[in-house]
Amino acid sequence: MYETCVVLFLFRSVEHTDGQSVLTDSLWRRYSEFELLRSYLLVYYPHIVVPPLPEKWAEFVWHKLSADNMDPDFVERRRIGLENFLLRIASHPILCRDKIFYLFLTQVFFFYLADSRLKALNATFRVKNPDKRFTDLKHYSDELQSVISHLLRVRARVADRLYGVYKVHGNYGRVFSEWSAIEKEMGDGLQSAGHHMDVYASSIDDILEDEEHYADQLKEYLFYAEALRAVCRKHELMQYDLEMAAQDLASKKQQCEELVTGTVRTFSLKGMTTKLFGQETPEQREARIKVLEEQINEGEQQLKSKNLEGREFVKNAWADIERFKEQKNRDLKEALISYAVMQISMCKKGIQVWTNAKECFSKM
Amino acid sequence: LPGSPPDALPSTGPHSLRDMPHPLAGSSSEEAVGGDSTPSPDLLMARSFGDKDLILPNGGTPAGTSSPASSSSLLNRLQLDDDIDGETRDLFVIVDDPKKHVCTMETYITYRITTKSTRVEFDLPEYSVRRRYQDFDWLRSKLEESQPTHLIPPLPEKFVVKGVVDRFSEEFVETRRKALDKFLKRITDHPVLSFNEHFNIFLTAKDLNAYKKQGIALLTRMGESVKHVTGGYKLRTRPLEFAAIGDYLDTFALKLGTIDRIAQRIIKEEIEYLVELREYGPVYSTWSALEGELAEPLEGVSACIGNCSTALEELTDDMTEDFLPVLREYILYSDSMKSVLKKRDQVQAEYEAKLEAVALRKEDRPKVPADVEKCQDRMECFNADLKADMERWQNNKRQDFRQLLMGMADKNIQYYEKCLMAWESIIPLLQEKQEAK
Repeated sequence: MYETCVVLFLFRSVEHTDGQSVLTDSLWRRYSEFELLRSYLLVYYPHIVVPPLPEKWAEFVWHKLSADNMDPDFVERRRIGLENFLLRIASHPILCRDKIFYLFLTQVFFFYLADSRLKALNATFRVKNPDKRFTDLKHYSDELQSVISHLLRVRARVADRLYGVYKVHGNYGRVFSEWSAIEKEMGDGLQSAGHHMDVYASSIDDILEDEEHYADQLKEYLFYAEALRAVCRKHELMQYDLEMAAQDLASKKQQCEELVTGTVRTFSLKGMTTKLFGQETPEQREARIKVLEEQINEGEQQLKSKNLEGREFVKNAWADIERFKEQKNRDLKEALISYAVMQISMCKKGIQVWTNAKECFSKM
Repeated sequence: LPGSPPDALPSTGPHSLRDMPHPLAGSSSEEAVGGDSTPSPDLLMARSFGDKDLILPNGGTPAGTSSPASSSSLLNRLQLDDDIDGETRDLFVIVDDPKKHVCTMETYITYRITTKSTRVEFDLPEYSVRRRYQDFDWLRSKLEESQPTHLIPPLPEKFVVKGVVDRFSEEFVETRRKALDKFLKRITDHPVLSFNEHFNIFLTAKDLNAYKKQGIALLTRMGESVKHVTGGYKLRTRPLEFAAIGDYLDTFALKLGTIDRIAQRIIKEEIEYLVELREYGPVYSTWSALEGELAEPLEGVSACIGNCSTALEELTDDMTEDFLPVLREYILYSDSMKSVLKKRDQVQAEYEAKLEAVALRKEDRPKVPADVEKCQDRMECFNADLKADMERWQNNKRQDFRQLLMGMADKNIQYYEKCLMAWESIIPLLQEKQEAK
């Protein structure tokens, strides 16, 4: 018998009317419901770079950080991530108007809208003439994913090592204290210096906790890379669809031409049976030509609309991609600045502690 | 090499040769004088220094006086030691200029020993000789032999595991040079050891090997007598004050050993941290190559991490070269002191045994035989020498450790200051608005 533990997130919608904030709705959602919402958005807004969810399982952890999904620190960081996800959607010019998003925020029961198109996103196929911009973008998103993963992995190792350096200094605290017991004039200086070593050793916990926030910001863009790739895939899918349709139309036209002119160039079952069982009657042939001509008409209409659809998609997608690029540059710059600020703070703390220790040593 | 911290004043503790010019270096060019050069009249009247000859380590100018500085105020300005007591210092020794000698049989390093002195025991005011490690080793054995009641400073370790440590690397040679310099300075500072004949020969003889072969035994009366004390006597109880010294040395050595282990562990962790940093920085460069507007900021972060890595490497090098060797030296020191304590015990034991033997033989009362008196003499001298040396050692130890630990704090402060500068300089780059292309 399994016991499942579920973490629910409470969120409230706040409506601003007449300058007053009024709490309208509040309801509980679990992580998997957020996943449903995102899957829906991926399908219905294929040209939009859909904001990513925070990670499902803790990845890139350095050893002191918990990999447990129930760990309060992880849950809190997940909460922040989910809130960020919703805010990104709410601030997106197109996504914020979606009805399902509204329902997600307000309705207790959320229906999963299954769609076969979702499955199509994962199919493999080859496209002959993709838009170069999308190909480039796909390469970029692959490389971005790779470099951010690498960065997060190494950062976790760096954090691990830094933790070790600080913590070992704590040993000085104890040995200085023991040593001070046998000294006359040196004793006080040693003892108080030891205390500062303890302070130094314990300061690393907060420092590394703050750094996790930076890691989370990077992770968001790691997952955003996936969303970018999804848009490229959608383009490829549409392009493939288009190429298939064009190919089909071309083949039908060829068949029709052959029937009309009487030359058989393409292979067809009818051609085969004709050879085996004798030629068809002129009436039969007319009928077939008619059917083909209808199909060709239909096909040409479809191709036209697919082309239009494709061009619309490219236009809209590219608009959102430009928007995304601006957002990414802003966000990552900010992340780097806050990282630098964290490092500066860490250096200043280090200087302070060692200056204090030095003063104690000078009194030895 | 990072310079020494501006606030630290040199003492008998370890200090870089570069920080302090030779106290008797006059304005005339007389560095590295051979033993047979004609002494300049200035050196013979070593007391009259002009203020312009002094370069103070903290870069300040000496307090202006119109009259030439007396030697005691000279000392006060150069060294704020409690130790000196305004004693006139008339012997200066420096170890420098290591050179590699390649011979058919072996390769070794020699160091230049420059001595300047006004003492009558020295024929010339200045000497310059070259010595190798085994000469120092010889000197130390001779000192132990001839001055068994005194604490002889330690030498850096004799043996190094070949293949693990490069005996001829710049770092190793420099670390050893500093330790040898310290060794000679400690002897120089000692009121008894500095007058030892072997020490004099070591500093002045052109051909030390010839002297060694002659095997001139210049044992003092004490040395001769202590040498003949066999280990056959067992002391019942050590007097309280020496027992206290013994206990102190035991605990002291233990604590130093622990500190040595901690320091080594910190360096190891820092090196591993450095390895990761060296991979971390370049990833930002790789990322920068993918980006447009973010390229410069990311590249900036990469360079910044590179600077921090370099600063960290400097820290670990400094700690390895300057901090660890001094700790090890003191552990060796306390070991050799414990053996001197044991020798003292033996002298006392011999005395007590002989005294007891006399007490049993009724005929010699009340007159105490001469040889028992001699034993008592020996013991009392030993005790006095040892007590004086212990006190001197405690003072020096305090200075040395104050300087050592302040140095450690300083190196860490410098490391963080370098990193701080790197990160602060990158903030404006990150905040810069890129013009739309």
